[in-house]
Amino acid sequence: MSREFCSFRPPPTTVVFLLAGGVGSRLNVLVQSRAKPAVPFGGLYRIIDFSLSNVMNSGLDQVGVLTQYKPLSLMRHLGTGEAWDFTGRSRGVKVLPPRTGSKDSDWYQGTADAVRQNLDFLQNHASTEVIILSGDHIYQMDLEEMLEFHRRRQADITVAMMEVEGEQISQFGTGITDSDDRIVEWEEKPEVPRTNLASMGIYVFSTEYLLATLERNRLEIDFGMHIIPRAIERDNVFAYRFRGYWRDVGTIQALWEANMDLLRPDSGISPQEWGIRSNPEADGPVADRCPARFAAGSRVSGSLISAGCRIAGEVVNSVLSPGVVVEEGAVVRDSVIFADCNIKAGATVDLAILDKKVVVGHGSVIGRGDNRQVPNHLHPKHLYTGITLVGKKVLIPERVVVGRNCIVNSEAELQPGMLIPTGETV
Amino acid sequence: MKLKHGTLAMILAGGRVDELNVLTYYRPKSAVPFGGLYRIIDFSLSNLMNSGLERVAILSQYRNFSLINHIGSSAAWDMVGRNRGISILPPFKGSEKSSWYRGSADAVAQNLDFVRYHHPEVILILSGDHVYHMDYRQIIEYHRGNEADLTIGFVPVAPEKSHRFGVATLDGEDGSPGGRVLEYREKPEKSSCNWASMTVFCFRPEVLYEELSREVEGRENFEFGRDIIPRMVAEGRRIFGYKYFDYWGYTRTVEEYWQTSMDLLGPAPRIHLEEWGLRTNLEHRAIRDYQPLRVGAGADISDSLIYNGCQVEGRVKRSILFPGVKVGRGATVKDSIVFFDTSIGAEAKLDKVICDVNVVFEEACLVGRRRGESEAAATVVGWSNVIPSGADIGAGCTLYPHLDRKRLGGCIDNGEVVK
Repeated sequence: MSREFCSFRPPPTTVVFLLAGGVGSRLNVLVQSRAKPAVPFGGLYRIIDFSLSNVMNSGLDQVGVLTQYKPLSLMRHLGTGEAWDFTGRSRGVKVLPPRTGSKDSDWYQGTADAVRQNLDFLQNHASTEVIILSGDHIYQMDLEEMLEFHRRRQADITVAMMEVEGEQISQFGTGITDSDDRIVEWEEKPEVPRTNLASMGIYVFSTEYLLATLERNRLEIDFGMHIIPRAIERDNVFAYRFRGYWRDVGTIQALWEANMDLLRPDSGISPQEWGIRSNPEADGPVADRCPARFAAGSRVSGSLISAGCRIAGEVVNSVLSPGVVVEEGAVVRDSVIFADCNIKAGATVDLAILDKKVVVGHGSVIGRGDNRQVPNHLHPKHLYTGITLVGKKVLIPERVVVGRNCIVNSEAELQPGMLIPTGETV
Repeated sequence: MKLKHGTLAMILAGGRVDELNVLTYYRPKSAVPFGGLYRIIDFSLSNLMNSGLERVAILSQYRNFSLINHIGSSAAWDMVGRNRGISILPPFKGSEKSSWYRGSADAVAQNLDFVRYHHPEVILILSGDHVYHMDYRQIIEYHRGNEADLTIGFVPVAPEKSHRFGVATLDGEDGSPGGRVLEYREKPEKSSCNWASMTVFCFRPEVLYEELSREVEGRENFEFGRDIIPRMVAEGRRIFGYKYFDYWGYTRTVEEYWQTSMDLLGPAPRIHLEEWGLRTNLEHRAIRDYQPLRVGAGADISDSLIYNGCQVEGRVKRSILFPGVKVGRGATVKDSIVFFDTSIGAEAKLDKVICDVNVVFEEACLVGRRRGESEAAATVVGWSNVIPSGADIGAGCTLYPHLDRKRLGGCIDNGEVVK
């Protein structure tokens, strides 16, 4: 009898922690009722689908998802984990929210603290390595390859790193490596960078090393700020080089740009080719979304259109999630529209992000004016390039005109014919 | 085991339909793709789900691989659980007589042990071949109220079309939900009957068991419509007809399939997929893994249904594109239905074409009807063909699956069949 038949399937040797707890407050109204990883992206997906699918496609199947901020939407999206093939006798995905206990009774203080408070999950699943990754990036990566690199180098910690251009580097943890890819120096969000090598927030730890290091000093609550810099001084920390498309979509501008990247075939991002899966069952539809319907006289170009959309008007250079209705004479341009929005006849949406179930009334304009430079008065660091944001379920009545860099919150009540000048927040 | 709802549904999904030709070459009729995403059997299954009838058997024998794949775990129709499930019942060998299913009634007869095991109060027998939206609870309630032996769903039919259906006359008054079946004839050459059977049968179980245990004289195979129902009418059983007035799409010929598909389009579509609560198995052919439709800068799309995973650079008019279809720059697809993962090259022209999966139309080939041939029949292209550049294939043609591409290179006249 061959070996495959008489031996058991080897137990998984890697546990994955997915950090999905961040508030992501720079995404403004989009994270009013959901955590950042649950923000819709690319029509059919949520941001976390990219990390979850990478885990699935790398053959890893023991996952703990660390949540803390507004986790309901995220938990519904994860469901049983079946969408990512995490169900079965030896597979599983667990949501790990903060909890009270005899010793640990605090909210998660940071990334390392969150993992520390769930050491029992780690101890319950025998493993040799632990992968810690963030649930809010858009990329494709073979984690199995990174694991092999980690083992080959006999590293204590391996950090996935990539070269970034220009001033962006100051948003990241940065590392200086020797010719052997060993990280010799670390600077967290440096003002004067000495390298262009940025941490992607993806770490492989040897399990024993992680357990020892988390037990040593409970004041070390963040991987990037505390654990990694100290480990570099004393232990074996290596950089695993990643080359390819990778975006942190933690700002409105970055989220919009990454969506626009989907429209350019040469941008290097392709959810379908990357094998990215979502969970369309999560919203419990009574029916499956039918194919997108294009009426006679519709005009659509350079756009991504999801199933269940009904287009009678014009759509240019935009990304539409399922169930968006664009009525006759309506125009959608340079925009990202989340599921089940309704753009009524004669309305215009120009350079905007509309959260789910927004109704834009007859003849209304979202995003008018040539002045894109005046930032939002309340949140000048969130909106400054002309993008206007509309929160979930906002009903915009007829003939309303909204300027550039505006924010219309979910609770906003608008009157027909209202004018909201550029930079205003309602 | 007693059924919670008392109803066992059995779907007749076994058949190949000769008139549908190459579309049923590798799959039963009920698994033929429809509406840009679905299979025809999804209508019956979704009706059952939406009627709360969740114990279902599918009788299937012809090339049922595609159908088995499609049903999967039954989770798509929410039929997983203690009293929920879809069982596929293929023909089997036994210690006594064993044979292929010899007709619809024989298929049920061979599975009577399965039926009895569930102790149903009502047995609902359906065809998996029709496009419609029906709440079966209403016909079951009507059946129970009448204490009927058998209740049949009927749609109005023009007498000149009665040769295609099982037809009946009913004694019900206008406005009543139905009436006693006075006369039933299967596909008569001429008839004055104006109600056509939808192949929706509610049987009282004991009556069904009894009828199926009787030999039908002189028959090698036996059918509900041709043998069982006429005999029951003749012997004076309590048979009622339930009238159904909404849309009922028949897809037994290529032209009917095309016309029923076109009923999805236009300013006032007659088929309402989402309102009907239609569901399909998104895992089949990995439909859910496709990204949104990508529409190129020079595309021109009108009056069409297009699913995720398509890429359109050219012109699409009054057409239905299934997941993964590519339409190249300058190509035109008109009045056509294109199944999964078919690719249409730049400058190619398709007009009134029904094309199966995994076909490649190379650049600038011409397929289907030409200008001025408004009455022309549809051209059907079987799966996994390559239509070379320079091909000029007329209207009403039939191309069998997997042909040698050299045979398709030249000019093929209207109505030709290439095997």
